[in-house]
Amino acid sequence: MKKIIFCFAGLVLFCMGLVFTVSSVFAQSYPNKPIRIIVPLTAGGPNDIRARLIAEKLTESLGQQVLVENKPGADGAIGAEMVAKAAPDGYTLLLGPNGVVVIVPALYKKVRYDPVKDFAPITQLTSSVVTLLVNPSLPVKSVKELVALAKSKPGQLNYASPAAVHHLTTEMFKLMAGVDIVHIPYKGSAPSMTALISGEVSIMFDTSLSTMPHIKAGKARVLAVCSAKRSPTMPDVPTMSESGLPGFEANTWAGVLAPAGTPKEIVKRLNTEIVKILHMPSVKERLSSVGDEIVGSTPEEFAVYIKAELERYTKVIKDASIPRIE
Amino acid sequence: MVDILSNLILGFSVALKPMYLLYCFVGVVLGTLVGVLPGIGALATIAMLLPFTFNLPPVASLIMLAGIYYGAQYGGSTTSILVNIPGEATTVITCLDGYQMARQGRAGPALGIAALGSFFAGCVATLIIVLFGPPLAEVALKFQQAEYFSLMVLGLIGAVVLASGSLLKAIAMVFLGLLFGLVGTDVYTGAARFNFGISELFDGIGFVPPAIGLFGFAEIIANMELKGKIEVFTAKVQRLMPTRADLKASWKAVLRGTAVGSLLGILPGGGALLSSFVSYTVEKKVARDPSRFGKGAIEGVAGPESANNAGAQTSFIPLLTLGIPGNAVMALLVGAMMIQGVAPGPRVMIERPELFWGLIASMWIGNMMLVVLNLPLIGIWIRLLTVPYRLLFPAILLFCCIGTYSINNSTIDVIMAAGFGLLGYFFRKLDCEPAPLVLGFILGPMMEENLRRAMLLSRGDPTVFFTRPISLGVLTAAAILLLLTIAPVVRHKRETVFKE
Repeated sequence: MKKIIFCFAGLVLFCMGLVFTVSSVFAQSYPNKPIRIIVPLTAGGPNDIRARLIAEKLTESLGQQVLVENKPGADGAIGAEMVAKAAPDGYTLLLGPNGVVVIVPALYKKVRYDPVKDFAPITQLTSSVVTLLVNPSLPVKSVKELVALAKSKPGQLNYASPAAVHHLTTEMFKLMAGVDIVHIPYKGSAPSMTALISGEVSIMFDTSLSTMPHIKAGKARVLAVCSAKRSPTMPDVPTMSESGLPGFEANTWAGVLAPAGTPKEIVKRLNTEIVKILHMPSVKERLSSVGDEIVGSTPEEFAVYIKAELERYTKVIKDASIPRIE
Repeated sequence: MVDILSNLILGFSVALKPMYLLYCFVGVVLGTLVGVLPGIGALATIAMLLPFTFNLPPVASLIMLAGIYYGAQYGGSTTSILVNIPGEATTVITCLDGYQMARQGRAGPALGIAALGSFFAGCVATLIIVLFGPPLAEVALKFQQAEYFSLMVLGLIGAVVLASGSLLKAIAMVFLGLLFGLVGTDVYTGAARFNFGISELFDGIGFVPPAIGLFGFAEIIANMELKGKIEVFTAKVQRLMPTRADLKASWKAVLRGTAVGSLLGILPGGGALLSSFVSYTVEKKVARDPSRFGKGAIEGVAGPESANNAGAQTSFIPLLTLGIPGNAVMALLVGAMMIQGVAPGPRVMIERPELFWGLIASMWIGNMMLVVLNLPLIGIWIRLLTVPYRLLFPAILLFCCIGTYSINNSTIDVIMAAGFGLLGYFFRKLDCEPAPLVLGFILGPMMEENLRRAMLLSRGDPTVFFTRPISLGVLTAAAILLLLTIAPVVRHKRETVFKE
């Protein structure tokens, strides 16, 4: 019995050795083995959907399996760090939502990745509209009225922040409009929405994806969208710029990044393929069902955008005296 | 009323279509399997299957995913009863009396009453969704931060009641659980706490490592000491089904459990979790002989099992009527609906009635499939127990490790589970029970989150817990429960003093 076990173990080891030597000979044209896209959040969210859509189509166009792996934890820092430290051979990519790429490094003092230095941006996939909502019982129908109400009741109105990025957006709003409203943090869109609907809080910034059904049902009132232009899905809603806060823009976005040092040809190849996928009608339709607008920028444009976003949020954190987290 | 009937007919006409029946069946079978396997649960499975639902019609995908969720409640009780390993957070309580029943050779009746009670609760809860869905959702909205905190306080006091041994040790275990729950990050400032620089601990210790470690691994280690006396399981296997006496003893518990679970399930954010704990507490308090609990009292299985199934069904209410997911699984279902282009919200009932009512009808069908599936399976599970323990426990260990690893693809979770296993073994030696620890661990972070938010909202005014009527009511119930628990101890001490 023992003999058989030893023989079997030996055979397994031999086969493993064979596979390793053979595979190292084939390190030639890209891609010649499966590619992983790391999503640094738990499965099922909009970012997961984006990653899986891209992965499905990329598998067809590259001829190699593109797999999506969820590596949640630490607000996305674990997954992002993993990709930052991965080999820059184009086989490990990050689906980076702005929260993970820009907000976490801006908010936390000790982060183990640098959003500018440790990544080679490939393309910005999407941008989503952020809306400003109030509880319908609040007697305001426009941003101007809200600002006036808030100024008349300093420190009395509450706002919910479903995520760090929306917290920062609201702080930006407070600075620009000169109002004092109190921050109540929640973990995610669902509890914040519940709080807004039940009247626990009166104000909230969140992406249109999470808020649309409730706006349509009349449980929440949308005052403005934070994009530069009006949203095609809500053409009657004014932008923040139109509502008396010129230049106020906020959004959430997601992009694909590779570790820094990934060869330029691989970056270019991935960029071309992904941008092509983004413009496919079926993909466009699926992405717009999660509230996205296609961007599909070049690596250089994305790199510039990341830097600009990082600067913007760092400035908000400083101006609003938000304490950075250890 | 006529309206509801015609809608139900619509629902059944959708759900009884062969293709949807198939998806329902697949969902509940998968759910049962996943519930039985320790570690991996409904949440992870639904997350993994979500992309596959891209290409399915919306009704099919929702029916299947929902089936996985409430199916897992059925399956989770199996491992709790057979090997003292909670398959899901809600089945921790079933370990207490269910496993003891199994040790007495009554695994069959335990499994049977769990299945029957779950079926009854599932059907009643679905009926409640139909009749009272929207008004109940409005009630749920009245529960804000202060009320949640008070509910958690009630839950913690209940945790002490869970223990059948020394009161002091139970309190100590609850506090230890609270301490473990502190690991992670501060909910408001995001400051790191007790994570020693290990990034995996950033989000706190998950539920699975302590549950599997303290219950499952500790049990296996303790059994190692018995050396061959384990065969007591198989020697005493008596019946496969509950006796008439069993049913008589449990039917009230099932009713109470269903009521508790249905009510708590509608509260978004942890309501369903509490249902099995509260039900156990209630059963213990109304029982004529509470000392039977912890030693194989069938009410301790019937009540909590009904409660957790009722809670699982009614937790759909906030999702279906308000469009707000009540827990992580519901949040995934929101994702599934959005992929299909269905915006979850109050309008779903009106705009997509076939979806809403089809899903509801499928819940009844699913519950029926589950009870038909699970009752005969009892025989197979019993036969599994006849496998010699020296072959059984390595398999259990392996499944537990795989299950624990699969949650986050992280080996640290497995190591933590092992650590908790050792800890659990020491606790046994010290006669300390793990259930209050687990409850403290789950409730602690939730309590803190709600307390701080309530304080933020009231601008630091602590009287808010007493001025809000629901919160006051819940806290009063907690105070009464505390008095009821301490009173016998005090009386006993006074008696001893007088004797001297």
